[in-house]
Amino acid sequence: MSFFPFESLVGLQRELGLVVGVLIGFGFGFTLERAGFGRAQKLVGQFYGYDMTVFKVMFGAIVTAMLGLVVLSGLGLADFRAIAEKAASSTYLWPMLVGGLLLGVGFIVSGYCPGTSWVAAASGKLDGLATVLGVIAGQVAYAELLSIPAVARFHSSGDLGALFLWDLLKLPNKVGPQAVAIAVTAMAVGCFIGVEKLEKLLSARADPAARATPAGRPGRFVFAGLAASALVGLALLALPTGTLAARQPRVIAPLELARRVLDEPWKVRVIDLRDPKACAEKRIPGSECLAPADLGKLGLAYANPARDLVLVGDADLQPVPKEALAYGGVLAVLQGGWKGWQAFALEPPAPPAPGASPAEMETFRLRAGLQSALTGMKAAPPPPPPSAAPAGPPRKGGGGCGS
Amino acid sequence: MERNPDKFWNPYLAGAVLGLVLLSAFVVMGKGLGASNTSLRLGVTAMEAVAPGHVATTPALAKTRADGHPLDNWLVFEVLGVLLGGFVGAYTSGRLGKETLKGPRIGNPGRWAMAFGGGALMGAAAYMGRGCTSGQALTGGALLSAGAWVFMFSVFGGGYALAYFVRRAWR
Repeated sequence: MSFFPFESLVGLQRELGLVVGVLIGFGFGFTLERAGFGRAQKLVGQFYGYDMTVFKVMFGAIVTAMLGLVVLSGLGLADFRAIAEKAASSTYLWPMLVGGLLLGVGFIVSGYCPGTSWVAAASGKLDGLATVLGVIAGQVAYAELLSIPAVARFHSSGDLGALFLWDLLKLPNKVGPQAVAIAVTAMAVGCFIGVEKLEKLLSARADPAARATPAGRPGRFVFAGLAASALVGLALLALPTGTLAARQPRVIAPLELARRVLDEPWKVRVIDLRDPKACAEKRIPGSECLAPADLGKLGLAYANPARDLVLVGDADLQPVPKEALAYGGVLAVLQGGWKGWQAFALEPPAPPAPGASPAEMETFRLRAGLQSALTGMKAAPPPPPPSAAPAGPPRKGGGGCGS
Repeated sequence: MERNPDKFWNPYLAGAVLGLVLLSAFVVMGKGLGASNTSLRLGVTAMEAVAPGHVATTPALAKTRADGHPLDNWLVFEVLGVLLGGFVGAYTSGRLGKETLKGPRIGNPGRWAMAFGGGALMGAAAYMGRGCTSGQALTGGALLSAGAWVFMFSVFGGGYALAYFVRRAWR
């Protein structure tokens, strides 16, 4: 079990987590300000070649955080992939490519990026405030545009799931993050050296706007620190406490599983590890019945990691079978196991109050549909939702697996 | 501490400190940093005051209310911290003050219009890219997400591609 992150801060001690959020944000804002990121000219200097601070700070931060997490994972205190799956979004190739280009254009026009515009506004810069207001308007406008089917289709195009650079290289989760992190560190340090040379060249041309930000002594300290962390990360690969041993599967709630089974069955694989007879009688739509002893025969370590694997036990599955931990993709365990599913799906949901939000209505509809499927009809897929959505991909029923 | 508005931290040192802040978010909270999602939540809050029915019928806007009030969210508190940190950083460095930062060849209203327009473009782009330079490039980049690296190179590509055409605003 990983020591980090502290799960309770998003659950039971949520208020404390919010206080931590303010503190972390304070560190973020203060550092951005001190780096000079509250000033538009300093930021856009990156794009005119006279000030490479943006590149240096950004890649310095990326490499530092990445190596820190690599070292902590090597020590078995954290799990790089688990945190990456939690904190980074899935890859949607096309919208990310186009969104990045547009954000770059907006950056050079406004002089800020969304994060630094908050800092500029907080330090009294009126152009920063205008950018903050613009970002709000743009976010709301795009959310409105998502009601257009074509925009929504583009927004979810190129969906590659939780995809990481070491997946592209077909490296396993145990060594992948370390290997790629060391390559990225080497690349970043190479770029840093190149950028220093470039800045020297520009200031030699006596460009009045050229304000070089040389590495100097502190910079060399940082380089040494990064190199040391990379070496430590490499050395820790030899330790037996790999991330595999420390891996902890996600816990998925029945509601979330029901949503995913109905909305995107092609992205989940549900394996029911209960007694095969009980499973044959009643199971989650689309799930596979499997005796725990046969789990090894699936070759999960080499299976395509595109689908999220969800394991179902009688109750909370403890311990999680070793064979499943070797799975390359997202691994989750159903909260409360079959019992939790039954309580969720058999207990009739309370009808929502009039004027409930669409999200509440949607939850109710889903639960009601599931409940009628599981209690009423046998061997039939659940009925389609009463009011079919006007647009969007067709909803899959419960598949042919009966109820 | 001396207050010198022209003195900034060494960029590599600032990068390392920023990286440690990001790392603390990863290991303590299991979350990354973010800036643009809070903007959506502020926008929804404002719209609810004006047209409450409209938010409820637009799924992408209603999503921000999944856990109750749109502002009841970790990222909103994190941005509150960013504002405080930015304010304290600017005050202690002598950079706090009401002003408009711009190139010598553009007036204030023009600069504000460009800032707002560029901001709006970034707002839409950040929604499209599932995060901005903080939530996607920095957070996802450090976590080696494939999409985040595509996004990051695109940001630099977009910026460099247009820089020449807007140079009069800056130099």
